Amino acid sequence: MILLTETANWSHIWMVTLIGFALVVCLLLILVLVLKLFGFIMKPRVRVPKVVHTEEKSEIKHDETVLVNLPANTTAAIAMALHLYYADIHDNEAHVMTIKKVERRYSPWNSKIYGINNLVK
Amino acid sequence: MWNDILSFLQNTGFALIANDWRVVVMLLISFFLLYLAIAKKYEPLLLLPIAFGMLLTNLPGAGLFHSELWTAFLDENSPMFHNYGAIMREGGLLDILYIGVKAGIYPCLIFIGVGAMTDFGPLIANPKSLLLGAAAQLGIFITFLTANALGFSEAEAGSIGIIGGADGPTSIFLTSKLAPNLLGPVAIAAYSYMALVPVIQPPIMRALTTKKERAIRMKQLRSVSKTEKIIFPVMVATIVALILPDAAPLIGCLMLGNLMRECGVVERLSKTVQNELMNIVVIFLGLTVGATATAESFLQLKTLMILGMGIIAFGLGSAGGVLLAKFMNLFSKEKINPLIGSAGVSAVPMAARVSQQVGQESDPGNFLLMHAMGPNVAGVIGSAVAAGILLTMLG
Repeated sequence: MILLTETANWSHIWMVTLIGFALVVCLLLILVLVLKLFGFIMKPRVRVPKVVHTEEKSEIKHDETVLVNLPANTTAAIAMALHLYYADIHDNEAHVMTIKKVERRYSPWNSKIYGINNLVK
Repeated sequence: MWNDILSFLQNTGFALIANDWRVVVMLLISFFLLYLAIAKKYEPLLLLPIAFGMLLTNLPGAGLFHSELWTAFLDENSPMFHNYGAIMREGGLLDILYIGVKAGIYPCLIFIGVGAMTDFGPLIANPKSLLLGAAAQLGIFITFLTANALGFSEAEAGSIGIIGGADGPTSIFLTSKLAPNLLGPVAIAAYSYMALVPVIQPPIMRALTTKKERAIRMKQLRSVSKTEKIIFPVMVATIVALILPDAAPLIGCLMLGNLMRECGVVERLSKTVQNELMNIVVIFLGLTVGATATAESFLQLKTLMILGMGIIAFGLGSAGGVLLAKFMNLFSKEKINPLIGSAGVSAVPMAARVSQQVGQESDPGNFLLMHAMGPNVAGVIGSAVAAGILLTMLG
Protein backbone atom coordinates (compact mmCIF):
# COMPACT_ATOMS: atom_id res chain seq x y z
CA MET A 1 0.00 0.00 0.00
CA ILE A 2 2.74 2.42 0.94
CA LEU A 3 4.76 4.65 -1.36
CA LEU A 4 4.29 5.28 -5.05
CA THR A 5 2.09 2.40 -6.05
CA GLU A 6 2.63 1.32 -9.61
CA THR A 7 -1.04 0.49 -10.13
CA ALA A 8 -2.07 4.15 -9.77
CA ASN A 9 -2.98 5.97 -12.96
CA TRP A 10 -0.47 8.77 -12.60
CA SER A 11 -1.35 10.57 -15.80
CA HIS A 12 -4.92 10.94 -14.54
CA ILE A 13 -3.75 11.94 -11.06
CA TRP A 14 -1.50 14.69 -12.46
CA MET A 15 -4.30 15.83 -14.73
CA VAL A 16 -6.73 16.09 -11.79
CA THR A 17 -4.13 17.98 -9.75
CA LEU A 18 -3.09 20.48 -12.39
CA ILE A 19 -6.42 21.01 -14.13
CA GLY A 20 -8.28 20.96 -10.81
CA PHE A 21 -6.15 23.69 -9.28
CA ALA A 22 -6.13 25.69 -12.52
CA LEU A 23 -9.93 25.48 -12.62
CA VAL A 24 -10.24 26.77 -9.04
CA VAL A 25 -7.97 29.71 -9.88
CA CYS A 26 -9.73 30.42 -13.21
CA LEU A 27 -13.20 30.31 -11.71
CA LEU A 28 -12.25 32.62 -8.88
CA LEU A 29 -10.41 34.86 -11.36
CA ILE A 30 -13.64 35.15 -13.35
CA LEU A 31 -15.41 36.11 -10.12
CA VAL A 32 -12.70 38.71 -9.42
CA LEU A 33 -13.22 40.30 -12.84
CA VAL A 34 -17.00 40.23 -12.51
CA LEU A 35 -16.79 41.74 -9.02
CA LYS A 36 -14.41 44.47 -10.21
CA LEU A 37 -16.83 45.39 -12.97
CA PHE A 38 -19.71 45.11 -10.54
CA GLY A 39 -17.90 47.35 -8.04
CA PHE A 40 -17.17 49.91 -10.73
CA ILE A 41 -20.83 50.08 -11.72
CA MET A 42 -22.20 50.05 -8.18
CA LYS A 43 -19.60 52.33 -6.56
CA PRO A 44 -21.47 54.55 -4.10
CA ARG A 45 -21.34 58.17 -5.19
CA VAL A 46 -22.26 61.26 -3.22
CA ARG A 47 -23.64 64.31 -4.98
CA VAL A 48 -21.90 67.46 -3.72
CA PRO A 49 -22.87 70.94 -5.02
CA LYS A 50 -20.20 72.37 -7.25
CA VAL A 51 -18.95 75.84 -6.30
CA VAL A 52 -18.30 77.96 -9.37
CA HIS A 53 -16.40 81.25 -9.09
CA THR A 54 -16.75 83.49 -12.10
CA GLU A 55 -14.72 86.62 -12.68
CA GLU A 56 -17.70 88.88 -13.32
CA LYS A 57 -19.74 87.96 -10.29
CA SER A 58 -18.61 85.62 -7.58
CA GLU A 59 -21.94 84.04 -6.92
CA ILE A 60 -22.41 80.40 -6.03
CA LYS A 61 -24.43 78.28 -8.43
CA HIS A 62 -26.26 75.49 -6.65
CA ASP A 63 -27.90 73.94 -9.63
CA GLU A 64 -24.75 72.21 -11.00
CA THR A 65 -23.60 69.02 -9.30
CA VAL A 66 -20.61 66.71 -9.72
CA LEU A 67 -20.09 63.13 -8.60
CA VAL A 68 -17.49 63.01 -5.83
CA ASN A 69 -16.31 60.08 -3.76
CA LEU A 70 -15.80 61.08 -0.18
CA PRO A 71 -12.76 59.28 1.24
CA ALA A 72 -13.37 57.27 4.38
CA ASN A 73 -11.17 59.50 6.58
CA THR A 74 -13.17 62.59 5.53
CA THR A 75 -16.41 60.81 6.33
CA ALA A 76 -14.98 59.75 9.71
CA ALA A 77 -13.88 63.36 10.44
CA ILE A 78 -17.35 64.72 9.59
CA ALA A 79 -18.98 62.02 11.72
CA MET A 80 -16.67 62.83 14.64
CA ALA A 81 -17.36 66.57 14.35
CA LEU A 82 -21.10 65.96 14.33
CA HIS A 83 -20.78 63.62 17.29
CA LEU A 84 -18.82 66.20 19.30
CA TYR A 85 -21.29 68.91 18.38
CA TYR A 86 -24.32 66.91 19.44
CA ALA A 87 -22.56 65.58 22.54
CA ASP A 88 -21.96 69.17 23.63
CA ILE A 89 -25.65 70.05 23.50
CA HIS A 90 -26.56 67.77 26.37
CA ASP A 91 -25.57 68.08 30.00
CA ASN A 92 -23.10 65.65 31.42
CA GLU A 93 -24.78 63.07 33.58
CA ALA A 94 -23.37 61.91 36.90
CA HIS A 95 -23.00 58.34 35.52
CA VAL A 96 -24.01 56.99 38.92
CA MET A 97 -26.77 54.48 39.04
CA THR A 98 -29.03 54.54 42.04
CA ILE A 99 -31.46 51.80 42.70
CA LYS A 100 -34.22 52.83 44.99
CA LYS A 101 -35.90 50.02 46.78
CA VAL A 102 -39.63 50.18 46.27
CA GLU A 103 -41.42 48.56 49.11
CA ARG A 104 -45.03 47.71 48.64
CA ARG A 105 -46.83 47.17 51.87
CA TYR A 106 -49.55 44.64 51.98
CA SER A 107 -53.02 45.92 51.48
CA PRO A 108 -56.19 44.05 50.63
CA TRP A 109 -56.48 46.43 47.65
CA ASN A 110 -53.35 45.10 46.00
CA SER A 111 -53.64 41.57 47.31
CA LYS A 112 -53.33 38.79 44.78
CA ILE A 113 -55.40 36.56 46.96
CA TYR A 114 -58.46 38.66 46.33
CA GLY A 115 -58.03 39.05 42.58
CA ILE A 116 -60.97 39.12 40.18
CA ASN A 117 -60.77 35.38 39.71
CA ASN A 118 -60.94 34.81 43.40
CA LEU A 119 -64.01 36.65 44.52
CA VAL A 120 -64.92 36.79 48.20
CA LYS A 121 -67.91 34.59 48.86
CA MET B 1 -32.36 -19.47 36.86
CA TRP B 2 -28.53 -19.57 36.76
CA ASN B 3 -28.76 -19.97 32.99
CA ASP B 4 -30.87 -16.82 32.77
CA ILE B 5 -28.43 -14.87 34.89
CA LEU B 6 -25.50 -16.20 32.86
CA SER B 7 -27.26 -15.32 29.62
CA PHE B 8 -27.97 -11.81 30.93
CA LEU B 9 -24.34 -11.34 31.95
CA GLN B 10 -23.12 -12.58 28.58
CA ASN B 11 -25.33 -10.03 26.82
CA THR B 12 -24.12 -7.02 28.80
CA GLY B 13 -21.78 -4.57 27.18
CA PHE B 14 -19.02 -5.49 29.64
CA ALA B 15 -18.93 -9.10 28.40
CA LEU B 16 -18.93 -7.92 24.79
CA ILE B 17 -16.13 -5.45 25.46
CA ALA B 18 -13.99 -8.30 26.75
CA ASN B 19 -14.26 -9.95 23.32
CA ASP B 20 -12.76 -6.99 21.45
CA TRP B 21 -10.00 -4.80 22.94
CA ARG B 22 -10.36 -2.27 20.11
CA VAL B 23 -13.69 -1.15 21.55
CA VAL B 24 -11.93 -0.04 24.72
CA VAL B 25 -9.45 1.98 22.66
CA MET B 26 -12.30 3.65 20.75
CA LEU B 27 -14.10 4.49 23.99
CA LEU B 28 -10.89 6.04 25.35
CA ILE B 29 -10.48 8.08 22.15
CA SER B 30 -14.06 9.31 22.45
CA PHE B 31 -13.41 10.30 26.10
CA PHE B 32 -10.29 12.18 25.00
CA LEU B 33 -12.22 14.04 22.29
CA LEU B 34 -14.92 14.90 24.83
CA TYR B 35 -12.18 16.26 27.08
CA LEU B 36 -10.79 18.38 24.23
CA ALA B 37 -14.26 19.71 23.45
CA ILE B 38 -15.29 20.49 27.03
CA ALA B 39 -12.06 21.36 28.85
CA LYS B 40 -10.00 22.79 25.99
CA LYS B 41 -12.98 24.17 24.02
CA TYR B 42 -11.65 22.84 20.67
CA GLU B 43 -14.58 23.46 18.28
CA PRO B 44 -16.94 22.20 21.02
CA LEU B 45 -20.11 22.73 18.97
CA LEU B 46 -19.07 19.97 16.62
CA LEU B 47 -16.42 18.02 18.46
CA LEU B 48 -18.75 17.28 21.36
CA PRO B 49 -21.50 15.60 19.28
CA ILE B 50 -18.84 13.86 17.15
CA ALA B 51 -17.15 12.45 20.25
CA PHE B 52 -20.48 11.39 21.74
CA GLY B 53 -21.52 9.77 18.47
CA MET B 54 -18.23 7.88 18.56
CA LEU B 55 -18.98 6.80 22.11
CA LEU B 56 -22.51 5.60 21.26
CA THR B 57 -21.50 3.68 18.16
CA ASN B 58 -18.76 1.84 19.99
CA LEU B 59 -20.90 0.73 22.91
CA PRO B 60 -21.19 -2.99 22.24
CA GLY B 61 -24.71 -4.33 21.90
CA ALA B 62 -26.40 -0.93 21.76
CA GLY B 63 -27.03 -1.31 18.02
CA LEU B 64 -27.42 2.40 17.34
CA PHE B 65 -25.32 2.32 14.19
CA HIS B 66 -24.65 -0.56 11.80
CA SER B 67 -21.66 0.01 9.55
CA GLU B 68 -22.35 -3.33 7.82
CA LEU B 69 -25.71 -1.99 6.60
CA TRP B 70 -23.96 0.93 4.95
CA THR B 71 -21.34 -1.36 3.41
CA ALA B 72 -24.21 -3.35 1.86
CA PHE B 73 -25.84 -0.06 0.83
CA LEU B 74 -22.78 0.72 -1.31
CA ASP B 75 -22.32 -2.82 -2.65
CA GLU B 76 -23.77 -3.10 -6.16
CA ASN B 77 -24.22 -6.88 -5.76
CA SER B 78 -26.16 -6.57 -2.53
CA PRO B 79 -29.98 -6.51 -2.47
CA MET B 80 -29.62 -3.47 -0.20
CA PHE B 81 -27.74 -1.43 -2.82
CA HIS B 82 -28.96 2.18 -2.52
CA ASN B 83 -32.00 0.94 -0.61
CA TYR B 84 -32.97 3.59 1.94
CA GLY B 85 -36.09 1.54 2.83
CA ALA B 86 -33.92 -1.28 4.13
CA ILE B 87 -31.94 1.21 6.23
CA MET B 88 -35.16 2.59 7.73
CA ARG B 89 -36.40 -0.93 8.42
CA GLU B 90 -33.29 -2.50 9.88
CA GLY B 91 -31.21 0.45 11.05
CA GLY B 92 -30.84 2.01 14.47
CA LEU B 93 -31.40 5.63 15.44
CA LEU B 94 -28.03 6.81 14.17
CA ASP B 95 -28.43 4.86 10.90
CA ILE B 96 -31.62 6.78 10.20
CA LEU B 97 -30.04 10.12 11.05
CA TYR B 98 -27.02 9.19 8.90
CA ILE B 99 -29.22 9.23 5.80
CA GLY B 100 -28.93 13.03 5.96
CA VAL B 101 -25.14 12.78 5.63
CA LYS B 102 -25.31 10.11 2.95
CA ALA B 103 -27.71 12.14 0.85
CA GLY B 104 -25.58 15.27 1.33
CA ILE B 105 -28.39 17.13 3.10
CA TYR B 106 -26.75 18.22 6.38
CA PRO B 107 -23.66 19.95 4.94
CA CYS B 108 -25.89 21.93 2.58
CA LEU B 109 -28.25 22.96 5.39
CA ILE B 110 -25.24 24.04 7.45
CA PHE B 111 -24.04 26.09 4.50
CA ILE B 112 -27.36 27.97 4.47
CA GLY B 113 -26.65 28.92 8.09
CA VAL B 114 -23.02 29.78 7.33
CA GLY B 115 -24.17 32.01 4.47
CA ALA B 116 -26.65 33.76 6.74
CA MET B 117 -23.89 34.45 9.27
CA THR B 118 -21.31 35.65 6.75
CA ASP B 119 -20.74 39.23 5.68
CA PHE B 120 -19.28 39.21 2.18
CA GLY B 121 -18.77 43.00 2.34
CA PRO B 122 -14.95 42.86 2.72
CA LEU B 123 -14.77 40.50 -0.26
CA ILE B 124 -16.97 42.72 -2.44
CA ALA B 125 -14.90 45.75 -1.44
CA ASN B 126 -11.64 43.98 -2.31
CA PRO B 127 -12.28 41.33 -5.00
CA LYS B 128 -8.56 40.47 -5.16
CA SER B 129 -9.14 38.58 -1.91
CA LEU B 130 -10.67 35.82 -4.02
CA LEU B 131 -7.24 35.08 -5.48
CA LEU B 132 -5.83 34.57 -1.99
CA GLY B 133 -8.75 32.23 -1.32
CA ALA B 134 -7.82 30.32 -4.49
CA ALA B 135 -4.12 30.07 -3.57
CA ALA B 136 -5.02 28.65 -0.19
CA GLN B 137 -6.60 25.68 -1.98
CA LEU B 138 -3.10 24.65 -3.11
CA GLY B 139 -2.84 22.38 -0.07
CA ILE B 140 -5.85 20.37 -1.25
CA PHE B 141 -4.26 19.43 -4.54
CA ILE B 142 -0.72 18.78 -3.25
CA THR B 143 -2.17 16.53 -0.56
CA PHE B 144 -4.25 14.78 -3.24
CA LEU B 145 -0.97 13.95 -5.00
CA THR B 146 0.71 12.85 -1.77
CA ALA B 147 -2.19 10.62 -0.75
CA ASN B 148 -2.10 8.93 -4.15
CA ALA B 149 1.62 8.37 -3.72
CA LEU B 150 0.96 6.76 -0.35
CA GLY B 151 -1.38 4.23 -1.92
CA PHE B 152 -4.83 5.67 -1.34
CA SER B 153 -7.31 5.43 -4.19
CA GLU B 154 -7.98 8.63 -6.15
CA ALA B 155 -11.39 9.07 -4.53
CA GLU B 156 -9.90 8.59 -1.06
CA ALA B 157 -7.05 10.97 -1.90
CA GLY B 158 -9.55 13.64 -2.94
CA SER B 159 -11.37 13.27 0.37
CA ILE B 160 -8.12 13.56 2.31
CA GLY B 161 -6.97 16.55 0.28
CA ILE B 162 -10.15 18.51 0.99
CA ILE B 163 -9.12 18.68 4.67
CA GLY B 164 -6.73 21.40 3.46
CA GLY B 165 -9.75 23.56 2.67
CA ALA B 166 -10.35 23.73 6.45
CA ASP B 167 -14.06 23.62 5.91
CA GLY B 168 -15.91 20.94 7.89
CA PRO B 169 -19.21 20.77 5.95
CA THR B 170 -17.37 20.73 2.60
CA SER B 171 -15.05 17.94 3.79
CA ILE B 172 -18.03 15.89 4.98
CA PHE B 173 -20.01 16.57 1.80
CA LEU B 174 -17.17 15.46 -0.49
CA THR B 175 -16.08 12.48 1.62
CA SER B 176 -19.64 11.16 1.93
CA LYS B 177 -19.76 11.12 -1.88
CA LEU B 178 -16.24 9.94 -2.72
CA ALA B 179 -15.01 7.80 0.17
CA PRO B 180 -17.67 7.21 2.85
CA ASN B 181 -15.39 4.70 4.58
CA LEU B 182 -13.09 7.58 5.54
CA LEU B 183 -15.81 9.91 6.81
CA GLY B 184 -14.95 9.55 10.52
CA PRO B 185 -11.19 10.20 10.27
CA VAL B 186 -11.59 12.98 7.69
CA ALA B 187 -14.24 14.83 9.73
CA ILE B 188 -12.25 14.51 12.94
CA ALA B 189 -9.06 15.70 11.21
CA ALA B 190 -10.87 18.63 9.57
CA TYR B 191 -12.51 19.87 12.77
CA SER B 192 -9.45 19.24 14.94
CA TYR B 193 -7.20 21.26 12.64
CA MET B 194 -9.76 24.03 12.37
CA ALA B 195 -9.67 24.26 16.15
CA LEU B 196 -5.88 24.28 16.04
CA VAL B 197 -5.64 27.19 13.58
CA PRO B 198 -4.08 29.50 16.23
CA VAL B 199 -1.41 26.87 16.85
CA ILE B 200 -0.69 25.70 13.30
CA GLN B 201 -0.75 28.92 11.30
CA PRO B 202 1.39 31.51 13.20
CA PRO B 203 4.74 29.66 12.83
CA ILE B 204 4.11 29.24 9.07
CA MET B 205 3.13 32.90 8.72
CA ARG B 206 6.20 34.11 10.64
CA ALA B 207 8.54 31.82 8.72
CA LEU B 208 7.37 33.08 5.32
CA THR B 209 7.30 36.82 6.04
CA THR B 210 9.69 39.51 7.22
CA LYS B 211 8.84 41.84 10.09
CA LYS B 212 8.54 44.71 7.59
CA GLU B 213 6.00 42.77 5.53
CA ARG B 214 4.01 41.88 8.60
CA ALA B 215 3.79 45.56 9.51
CA ILE B 216 2.30 46.66 6.16
CA ARG B 217 -0.77 48.78 6.72
CA MET B 218 -3.51 48.35 4.16
CA LYS B 219 -5.78 51.00 2.71
CA GLN B 220 -9.20 51.17 4.31
CA LEU B 221 -11.85 49.19 2.45
CA ARG B 222 -14.50 51.10 0.54
CA SER B 223 -18.05 51.00 1.78
CA VAL B 224 -20.34 48.47 0.14
CA SER B 225 -23.95 49.36 -0.62
CA LYS B 226 -26.91 47.19 0.31
CA THR B 227 -27.76 46.69 -3.36
CA GLU B 228 -24.28 45.24 -3.99
CA LYS B 229 -24.67 42.88 -1.05
CA ILE B 230 -28.04 41.69 -2.38
CA ILE B 231 -26.89 41.18 -5.96
CA PHE B 232 -23.64 39.43 -4.93
CA PRO B 233 -25.10 36.07 -3.74
CA VAL B 234 -27.43 35.82 -6.75
CA MET B 235 -24.57 36.58 -9.11
CA VAL B 236 -22.05 34.18 -7.54
CA ALA B 237 -24.56 31.32 -7.30
CA THR B 238 -25.51 31.76 -10.96
CA ILE B 239 -21.96 32.02 -12.29
CA VAL B 240 -20.52 29.15 -10.23
CA ALA B 241 -23.47 26.80 -10.82
CA LEU B 242 -23.36 27.45 -14.55
CA ILE B 243 -19.62 26.82 -14.80
CA LEU B 244 -19.42 24.02 -12.25
CA PRO B 245 -22.79 22.30 -11.62
CA ASP B 246 -21.32 19.90 -9.04
CA ALA B 247 -20.52 22.84 -6.76
CA ALA B 248 -24.11 24.09 -7.00
CA PRO B 249 -25.47 22.39 -3.83
CA LEU B 250 -22.84 23.95 -1.56
CA ILE B 251 -22.47 27.34 -3.24
CA GLY B 252 -26.22 27.57 -3.86
CA CYS B 253 -27.03 26.97 -0.20
CA LEU B 254 -24.27 29.33 0.98
CA MET B 255 -25.58 32.10 -1.22
CA LEU B 256 -29.23 31.41 -0.34
CA GLY B 257 -28.40 31.93 3.33
CA ASN B 258 -26.48 35.10 2.51
CA LEU B 259 -29.33 36.48 0.42
CA MET B 260 -31.71 35.86 3.35
CA ARG B 261 -29.37 37.90 5.54
CA GLU B 262 -28.80 40.78 3.16
CA CYS B 263 -32.21 41.29 1.57
CA GLY B 264 -33.73 42.29 4.93
CA VAL B 265 -37.25 41.10 4.11
CA VAL B 266 -37.01 37.60 5.62
CA GLU B 267 -35.58 38.43 9.01
CA ARG B 268 -37.35 35.48 10.63
CA LEU B 269 -35.96 32.98 8.13
CA SER B 270 -32.49 34.46 8.46
CA LYS B 271 -32.60 34.11 12.26
CA THR B 272 -33.94 30.58 11.99
CA VAL B 273 -31.21 29.32 9.66
CA GLN B 274 -28.52 31.02 11.77
CA ASN B 275 -29.75 29.54 15.03
CA GLU B 276 -32.40 26.84 15.27
CA LEU B 277 -31.83 25.08 11.94
CA MET B 278 -28.06 25.32 12.21
CA ASN B 279 -28.02 23.97 15.76
CA ILE B 280 -30.34 21.06 14.99
CA VAL B 281 -28.36 20.05 11.92
CA VAL B 282 -25.05 20.37 13.78
CA ILE B 283 -26.33 17.90 16.38
CA PHE B 284 -27.42 15.39 13.72
CA LEU B 285 -24.29 15.85 11.65
CA GLY B 286 -21.88 15.61 14.57
CA LEU B 287 -23.56 12.56 16.09
CA THR B 288 -23.74 10.62 12.84
CA VAL B 289 -20.26 11.51 11.62
CA GLY B 290 -18.91 10.41 14.99
CA ALA B 291 -20.95 7.23 14.67
CA THR B 292 -19.08 6.24 11.51
CA ALA B 293 -15.86 6.03 13.55
CA THR B 294 -16.23 2.39 14.48
CA ALA B 295 -13.28 0.35 15.74
CA GLU B 296 -12.96 -1.53 12.42
CA SER B 297 -12.86 1.62 10.30
CA PHE B 298 -10.97 3.93 12.67
CA LEU B 299 -8.23 1.84 14.22
CA GLN B 300 -6.14 1.52 11.11
CA LEU B 301 -2.81 2.84 9.89
CA LYS B 302 -4.85 4.78 7.33
CA THR B 303 -6.36 6.96 10.07
CA LEU B 304 -2.94 8.04 11.32
CA MET B 305 -1.87 8.76 7.76
CA ILE B 306 -5.03 10.83 7.18
CA LEU B 307 -4.38 12.85 10.34
CA GLY B 308 -0.77 13.40 9.22
CA MET B 309 -1.69 14.39 5.67
CA GLY B 310 -4.50 16.61 6.95
CA ILE B 311 -2.07 18.79 8.85
CA ILE B 312 0.22 18.97 5.80
CA ALA B 313 -2.75 19.99 3.62
CA PHE B 314 -3.70 22.66 6.11
CA GLY B 315 -0.16 24.00 6.42
CA LEU B 316 0.34 24.10 2.65
CA GLY B 317 -2.96 25.92 2.19
CA SER B 318 -1.92 28.59 4.70
CA ALA B 319 1.50 28.89 3.05
CA GLY B 320 -0.07 29.14 -0.42
CA GLY B 321 -2.14 32.17 0.59
CA VAL B 322 0.82 33.96 2.21
CA LEU B 323 3.11 33.31 -0.76
CA LEU B 324 0.55 34.54 -3.30
CA ALA B 325 0.06 37.74 -1.30
CA LYS B 326 3.84 38.29 -1.41
CA PHE B 327 3.83 37.59 -5.14
CA MET B 328 0.99 40.05 -5.71
CA ASN B 329 2.99 42.70 -3.87
CA LEU B 330 5.64 42.52 -6.59
CA PHE B 331 3.19 43.97 -9.10
CA SER B 332 0.62 45.89 -7.18
CA LYS B 333 0.83 49.55 -6.21
CA GLU B 334 -1.23 49.10 -3.07
CA LYS B 335 0.66 46.66 -0.90
CA ILE B 336 -1.10 43.70 0.69
CA ASN B 337 -0.07 42.49 4.10
CA PRO B 338 0.90 38.85 3.35
CA LEU B 339 -0.54 37.75 6.70
CA ILE B 340 -4.07 38.04 5.34
CA GLY B 341 -3.20 35.35 2.77
CA SER B 342 -3.23 32.62 5.38
CA ALA B 343 -6.87 33.44 6.11
CA GLY B 344 -7.63 32.06 2.65
CA VAL B 345 -8.15 28.66 4.21
CA SER B 346 -11.78 28.84 5.35
CA ALA B 347 -11.97 28.36 9.16
CA VAL B 348 -14.13 31.48 9.49
CA PRO B 349 -13.45 33.66 11.45
CA MET B 350 -10.62 32.01 13.38
CA ALA B 351 -8.09 32.29 10.52
CA ALA B 352 -8.84 36.02 10.11
CA ARG B 353 -8.38 36.55 13.85
CA VAL B 354 -4.99 34.82 13.67
CA SER B 355 -3.93 37.21 10.87
CA GLN B 356 -4.97 40.12 13.08
CA GLN B 357 -3.08 38.79 16.11
CA VAL B 358 0.15 38.01 14.24
CA GLY B 359 -0.05 41.40 12.50
CA GLN B 360 -0.36 43.22 15.80
CA GLU B 361 2.77 41.52 17.12
CA SER B 362 4.72 43.61 14.58
CA ASP B 363 2.58 46.74 14.70
CA PRO B 364 0.06 47.01 17.54
CA GLY B 365 -1.78 49.79 15.70
CA ASN B 366 -2.37 47.69 12.58
CA PHE B 367 -5.90 46.35 12.21
CA LEU B 368 -5.98 43.55 9.67
CA LEU B 369 -9.17 41.82 10.74
CA MET B 370 -11.52 43.30 8.13
CA HIS B 371 -8.90 42.90 5.39
CA ALA B 372 -8.41 39.25 6.39
CA MET B 373 -12.15 38.58 6.36
CA GLY B 374 -12.07 39.01 2.55
CA PRO B 375 -9.75 36.05 1.86
CA ASN B 376 -11.39 34.18 4.72
CA VAL B 377 -14.86 34.17 3.15
CA ALA B 378 -13.25 33.72 -0.28
CA GLY B 379 -11.76 30.53 1.16
CA VAL B 380 -15.27 29.20 1.85
CA ILE B 381 -16.18 29.78 -1.81
CA GLY B 382 -12.80 28.42 -2.95
CA SER B 383 -13.02 25.19 -0.97
CA ALA B 384 -16.61 24.59 -2.16
CA VAL B 385 -15.45 25.13 -5.75
CA ALA B 386 -12.49 22.76 -5.21
CA ALA B 387 -14.90 20.16 -3.78
CA GLY B 388 -17.12 20.54 -6.85
CA ILE B 389 -14.14 20.08 -9.15
CA LEU B 390 -12.94 16.97 -7.30
CA LEU B 391 -16.47 15.57 -7.37
CA THR B 392 -16.73 16.16 -11.10
CA MET B 393 -13.36 14.59 -11.84
CA LEU B 394 -13.37 11.71 -9.36
CA GLY B 395 -17.02 11.05 -8.61
